[in-house]
Amino acid sequence: MRIAFAGNPNSGKTTMYNALTGRSEKIGNWGGVTVGSKEFQLKKEFAGDKEVIAVDLPGAYSMSPFTPEEGITSEYVRTANPDVIVNIVDATNLSRSLFFTTQLLELGIPVVVALNKTDINEKEGTKIDAAKLAARLNCPVYETVSTENKGLSEMIAKAISLAGTMQKAPYLQADIDLHDKNAVDAEDRKRYSFVNGIVSDVETRKTLSAETTQSDKLDGVLTNPIAGILIFAVVMWGVFWVSQTWLGPLVADWLVGWISAFQEWVAGQLENSPAILSALLADGIVGGVGAVVGFLPLVMVMYFLIALLEDCGYMARVSAVMDPIFKRVGLSGKSVIPVVIGTGCGIPAIMACRTIRDERERRATTMLTTFIPCGAKIPVIALFAGAFFNGAGWVSTLSYFLGLVLIFLGALLIKGITGYKYRKSFFIMELPKWKAPSLKFAFRSMMERAKAYIIKAATIILICNTVVQIMQTFDWHFNVVEEGAENTSILASIASPFAILLIPLGFGVWQLAAAAITGFIAKENVVGTLAVVYALTSFIDTEELAMTGGASTVAATMGLTSVTALAYLFFNLYTPPCFAAIGAMNSEMKSRGWLWGAIGLQLGTGYTIAFLINQLGTLFTEGHLAAGFVPGLIAVLCMAAALVLIARKVRAHFDEQYALHKGSKSVNATA
Amino acid sequence: MELAYALNKGAAGVRTEKESYDDSGVSKTLMDAEPGQTYIIKEIKTDDDDMNSFLFRLGCYEGEPITLISKKKKSCIVVIKDGRYNLDKLLSEAIII
Repeated sequence: MRIAFAGNPNSGKTTMYNALTGRSEKIGNWGGVTVGSKEFQLKKEFAGDKEVIAVDLPGAYSMSPFTPEEGITSEYVRTANPDVIVNIVDATNLSRSLFFTTQLLELGIPVVVALNKTDINEKEGTKIDAAKLAARLNCPVYETVSTENKGLSEMIAKAISLAGTMQKAPYLQADIDLHDKNAVDAEDRKRYSFVNGIVSDVETRKTLSAETTQSDKLDGVLTNPIAGILIFAVVMWGVFWVSQTWLGPLVADWLVGWISAFQEWVAGQLENSPAILSALLADGIVGGVGAVVGFLPLVMVMYFLIALLEDCGYMARVSAVMDPIFKRVGLSGKSVIPVVIGTGCGIPAIMACRTIRDERERRATTMLTTFIPCGAKIPVIALFAGAFFNGAGWVSTLSYFLGLVLIFLGALLIKGITGYKYRKSFFIMELPKWKAPSLKFAFRSMMERAKAYIIKAATIILICNTVVQIMQTFDWHFNVVEEGAENTSILASIASPFAILLIPLGFGVWQLAAAAITGFIAKENVVGTLAVVYALTSFIDTEELAMTGGASTVAATMGLTSVTALAYLFFNLYTPPCFAAIGAMNSEMKSRGWLWGAIGLQLGTGYTIAFLINQLGTLFTEGHLAAGFVPGLIAVLCMAAALVLIARKVRAHFDEQYALHKGSKSVNATA
Repeated sequence: MELAYALNKGAAGVRTEKESYDDSGVSKTLMDAEPGQTYIIKEIKTDDDDMNSFLFRLGCYEGEPITLISKKKKSCIVVIKDGRYNLDKLLSEAIII
């Protein structure tokens, strides 16, 4: 049996779904957190012996979709024939929610209304007569508080018992021609007046919604173009500082001690085994994976803090305050949400772009959002900050700031190429009521992430490290590479051609090229591979090494100056994200042209930034340009020329495109 | 999904600048409203059918009340039914009160 959860955005569907299934799907206090359908079995305590699947759907205001994620919901309830629909109604906004409710009631599928967030209503003195509402809607109504598990078991038991029955609609749309816009409008009006009639009958309010409250004053400050943006900058800086400079490294130091003890133990156990086996296990596997796991606390702390931000209602305000700036570069305020989510992981960030209505804005955001360093890039940043910059906090701050700058510049570029000026873009964002963030949810979100991180380290990263270790141990004839002849290994011969391309960037050696390449599989691999290829498993050895002191060994072995180290770090941060994120981009963009455009833009950006930092930095610190300036310059100029060509091609199609009203179709074909 | 995208495509709204500001000063928009006051919506002029019907579903349509909570140069916060929304200038100017 399938029970679908449908309702307005931010009514608490996913929170209820999590409570009933025991999952921990992403939740947040703004409309549009869930962007795809999810399903899972109900817990035994709710389902009994029956097998009941709960289906969580994105929020929708009605059956006619406005944004892509709303379309998923209306299509599901229309075509997938769920046995029962649980309609989650935000009790604090009954008058809006019931419009969708009456549409759901017309489908014939039994509906149970969960009148959610009743705790807020109690606080505000709003009363809803549930029995009367049930009578008027012709379906059962239960008061629930999904954050506290209140009323859920009665509600779901009723829903299960209704399977197989027919819903009788309290309001039926007249038989009209659905293509006649005026007739549809008139019908919708009638439906709304039916809803208004019910609301005035069942609801009594102590505080009118239109009254200005304390939280409105707070919103006034947070959406102020100057104060609001400053506050946002400080908040984000605080998140990065706590997770990457203060609390995160503190915990990481402790963890790293344990990992190195374990590594020594493994090495000790293998003392009498062949050197290759010992190298593979102790250095390659434990060392490489350990190097990555050591940074886990930084990622966990950040996830915890971001979850708190998402849960309190701040995201909608950020989106509102950033809208004018983002609009100027051709994005929308809604693009901010993927960017913030992207500090955790690029994949949910790319999926979160679905709430952006305009196709061009949506694709542009998808393309650019991964410039913000994700959680997997934190180990890379932390390693380089520790090894080359004495653990300076500015390295991480600069990485995020530059990421944001690149998003703006990239957006301007896309705006230039696709001719944004012809379109207009409206912005509307619901400002949800503030709520105290739940520490429990934040903790769960953090643990989920930790689990995923460890699984990734134990699978993908472990395999990559093993492969890298084997490839550098043997040459093509499967002879063990002799000491001093490292350049003959399989890995060296594969990575060397790529390394040549990187000479103008200041890091044209095969070891660094190999690490950058494995980084496309998962960014943590950069750290893991560096550990393996330089046999530097010890950079995570002593407690302080990776973070603060002793780093000179790392720096010396890699043969990078602080300038080239920064260039290498930025190259890894701003080139295309991991393959998984590229896959997500592909499925969201639904256009080959845009996907290749995105990959090209990211490769070009990473290359250009690294080139500029290396050449200008070397000029500044040593008084001369670095090696490979001319070939590098040619490469960068070629990329610029390619951009100009694409722009001209796209622009040449403008007139016919708009004449035919084809939307952005021809842009995609050529971009 | 395909359906959703198809519906969306039409929404991309391809219009020139000229068309959007053709009502010259006679009518009052949300941008001329006073904070704290409730108004009755006279007309929604977004030139975008999908946007209009989206606003409709939020309860923002002719004859319905709308309250301005606060106003900035480029945006404003309003109450429609029992929800608070942040609107940008373009949308606020399309709501005639």
